[in-house]
Amino acid sequence: MSEHTGQLERNIGFLEAMTLGGGTMIGAGIFILPGIAAEGAGPASSISFVIAGFVALLAALSLSELATGMPVAGGSYHYVNRALGGFFGSIVGWGMWTGLMFASAFYMIGFGQYLVQPIPFLDGRALVVLLGLVGLALIVGVNYYGTEESSKLQNVMIGTETAIVLVYVALGLFFIDPANLEPFAPTGPSGIIATTGIVFVSFLGFEIIATVAGEVKDPSRNIPLTMVLSVVLVTILYALVMLVTTGVVRYQEIGDSLVPVSDVAVVFMGSIGVVAIVAAAAIAAISSSNSSVLAAARVNFAMGRDELMSDWLNVTHDRFGTPHRAIIATGAVTALLIAVGLEVETIVSLLAEVASFSFLVSYSLVHVALVVFRRADPEDYDPSFRIPDALYPAVPVLGVLLTVVVISQMATIIIGLGLGIVGLGVGWYFLYVRDHAIDRGLIGEAITQGSVGYRVVVPVSNPETQERLIRLAAATAHAHTEEGTPELVAVNVLQVADPSPQQNIAAERLEHQRDLLESAREIASEMDVKLRTVAMSGDRVDETLLEAISHEAPDQVVLGWRGTLSNGGYVFGPNLDAVVEDAPCEVTLVTFHGNPIGGTVALAGPGPHAPFAARRAAEFATVDGTTPTLLNVQQMRDGDEDAAVERGEAVIDEVAGRAGLESGAYQREVVVAADTEVAILDAVSQYDTVCVGLSERSAASRVMFGTIASRISQEATGNVGIVRGAPES
Amino acid sequence: MPLTGDSTVLVPVDVSVSGPPDPGLLDLLEPVNVVVLGYYPVPKQTAPAHLRDDHESEAAARLEEAVSEFARADHEVEGVLVFTKDREDSIDRVAIQHDCDAVLLPDDIGTVERILVPLRGDVNLERIVSLVADLAGASDAVVTLFHSVAEGTDPSQGEFMLRGAADRLAEEGVDADRIDWKLSERGSPRREIVELAAEYDLLVLGETEPSLRDRILGTVLTPILDEVETTTIVVRDIE
Repeated sequence: MSEHTGQLERNIGFLEAMTLGGGTMIGAGIFILPGIAAEGAGPASSISFVIAGFVALLAALSLSELATGMPVAGGSYHYVNRALGGFFGSIVGWGMWTGLMFASAFYMIGFGQYLVQPIPFLDGRALVVLLGLVGLALIVGVNYYGTEESSKLQNVMIGTETAIVLVYVALGLFFIDPANLEPFAPTGPSGIIATTGIVFVSFLGFEIIATVAGEVKDPSRNIPLTMVLSVVLVTILYALVMLVTTGVVRYQEIGDSLVPVSDVAVVFMGSIGVVAIVAAAAIAAISSSNSSVLAAARVNFAMGRDELMSDWLNVTHDRFGTPHRAIIATGAVTALLIAVGLEVETIVSLLAEVASFSFLVSYSLVHVALVVFRRADPEDYDPSFRIPDALYPAVPVLGVLLTVVVISQMATIIIGLGLGIVGLGVGWYFLYVRDHAIDRGLIGEAITQGSVGYRVVVPVSNPETQERLIRLAAATAHAHTEEGTPELVAVNVLQVADPSPQQNIAAERLEHQRDLLESAREIASEMDVKLRTVAMSGDRVDETLLEAISHEAPDQVVLGWRGTLSNGGYVFGPNLDAVVEDAPCEVTLVTFHGNPIGGTVALAGPGPHAPFAARRAAEFATVDGTTPTLLNVQQMRDGDEDAAVERGEAVIDEVAGRAGLESGAYQREVVVAADTEVAILDAVSQYDTVCVGLSERSAASRVMFGTIASRISQEATGNVGIVRGAPES
Repeated sequence: MPLTGDSTVLVPVDVSVSGPPDPGLLDLLEPVNVVVLGYYPVPKQTAPAHLRDDHESEAAARLEEAVSEFARADHEVEGVLVFTKDREDSIDRVAIQHDCDAVLLPDDIGTVERILVPLRGDVNLERIVSLVADLAGASDAVVTLFHSVAEGTDPSQGEFMLRGAADRLAEEGVDADRIDWKLSERGSPRREIVELAAEYDLLVLGETEPSLRDRILGTVLTPILDEVETTTIVVRDIE
């Protein structure tokens, strides 16, 4: 066995995920935001951070469930796109991308401010912007050339930075002057919430864990753990930093500072403190900005994968293997945003707030996506982390409500800019996405769940026959339109020998599903049936198929069969026998020999499955608009041919009656011959497609395959359908 | 489990660059089963699935080529393609999944005439000896078994082990005159192995289970592998 599908390794462990998420969060706002926050809410800004942390925690819970259900690249964007379709997908995709760029620009300007401030003769906005651009160039360069930065070095850097912040908090607590904390909330509740909107940008880090979900080792454990843990720890840390900062120096003074933490540190740690803080701030800005660029490239890739983004932007570099165009585009827009800082005085809070806005919108849609997933409950969604039942509707509902509250307190200009970005996503959807991507939102399913028409499950795996198989299944489903909208469920099972937590199977499933969809979609729309696709993985194909079948509770399963009888204890083959034996519904095995379905014939004999075969022949006949023929062969007795024909026609009418076929909807053909088997084979060869029933089911529930049926399946030159009725229960 | 003639060796091949496998390597691995692990290194900035989307066919073609070079009638050759950020991780996983006995870390390799086999003790001895027997059995290579005892300790135990291993090799069908052993009493196995290895064409080492100390300070093996410029086969410690 030599298979050449490239396997994807999961290489991000717990510690790396923590440094990626927590590191980004600690880096981001902690050095820059205290000034703006103090200005907005005074000492009570620590409460703003706690509220922001709470909103983030709700989002982290919803995202955790979604990410363990579908651990592939893309984060929020991917879940929203799957749940709500391309329209909201492109809003969130663009929202996250621009949000990450705004955040990056925000970090880099902060970086410039911290470097410029301590040196008296270096001052002025131009220099801040210049340093920001230089830092950005460095990051873009590193990302473009794909320099594999040592993760050890990164851990050391983030460890150092965290240690400095902890020392700052621990020492600072002793220098808090309670008098400074009066008045605690000078701007009141609305000021606190408005400040929440600005500082929310600090909580982007945990989203970055979700964007790289496809690479996280043991995702069902590590994703929820690192997301929730990083949000909780960082919230506590931020609240403490805010208390120390406003407690040591009066908030009015801090509010005016561009480098608040360093201004406070000088009070109790002297110049050594300032040097340490500046170093930490520089490291923090670089690492946060770097993770943002990294996440932006992932979002772009995920959009390209779902065909929401042009492939041109989404190629990887031949030599470096990096998504260089996406990186350059991200860098260019970020540079532009930094440069705007030359003219716009309040650029820092502006950038922070727009980034916050984008992510708040994304998170509220993530909450909606969670509800949709829970309701639609697609087969391949089986999260290992679930929000506990006691919290379930509460978390997403509260999440959306709080998001709305926070957004409502944002400055008008921010809401305007934010809506502009949303508009960008909407415009993109109408200009580009609608013509390219397959809309596969689950929302319709979440709403219509419960109303059932005729349902057909089609396992597909062979690209050569899958189109014909789906077309045929669609035809049988379509014949049942009067019972409600028929539904086709295409199931693909990915056989995984040993699903290890180290390996990314979800990505493979996604790929299969996409290929499946592309060919199935046209057929379904032509035939006017609803199509759903389900991708599953398991180490035994038959068991996994049966699992899917019992979950979908279909009326019929249509399976493709190569047409050769197996040896070694199997009748149809290891993957099919169990389904033929145990599926609690009608089963049809189809072997394609000829291309058109054409004229169909069913053997109308005494077997218990003959009526089902007759019905199938009638359904198949609708594909090419022919009339099905029911065939009966009578042995010549006493030389009276007419009597034999009469007997045959009686049998045919009886079978047709049991199959529910009206007279006139079928043609009768009776063959009278001495050797029935030869006669049947002869007669059948006149038709393009022949349907036969399984001969019977014995008590032991073994598959019994009659000799005639078996010979037909072996010798027929046309298509063969082998039909088994639903077991009587 | 005796491993006569059925050892499986994992050979990692970088499929992001082209180039046929070394002919010396093909000769060397003639007598064993081979799993060719084609790995495509993924830079940190790229999602592995992204790189796979863009380069899968090219990588698969290169792997196919490598596999066909190794293919022979009497032994199994399998190819596995992986897009990974961490080659070691993939080697570990694939070695476990495909039940490989050893991993080959290639360097420039010509004809293998001299094989150095440092032995530490009883750990993994069986597997190492049977793999060496497989490799040496099909060629005329000379095998040197090596053991180093700590300074001041009785060397007879080491000698006993080396003789035992040499006998085992002979039993497995390697001519006794091609087997040679060296016992050192200088007590710094790492340096000696690195120095000795320079004179050999192939080094066969046993994997070490990292102890707590090793995890902090690095295993004995890693520094050896870093310094040695000889092609090395690391025999996995499966039990």
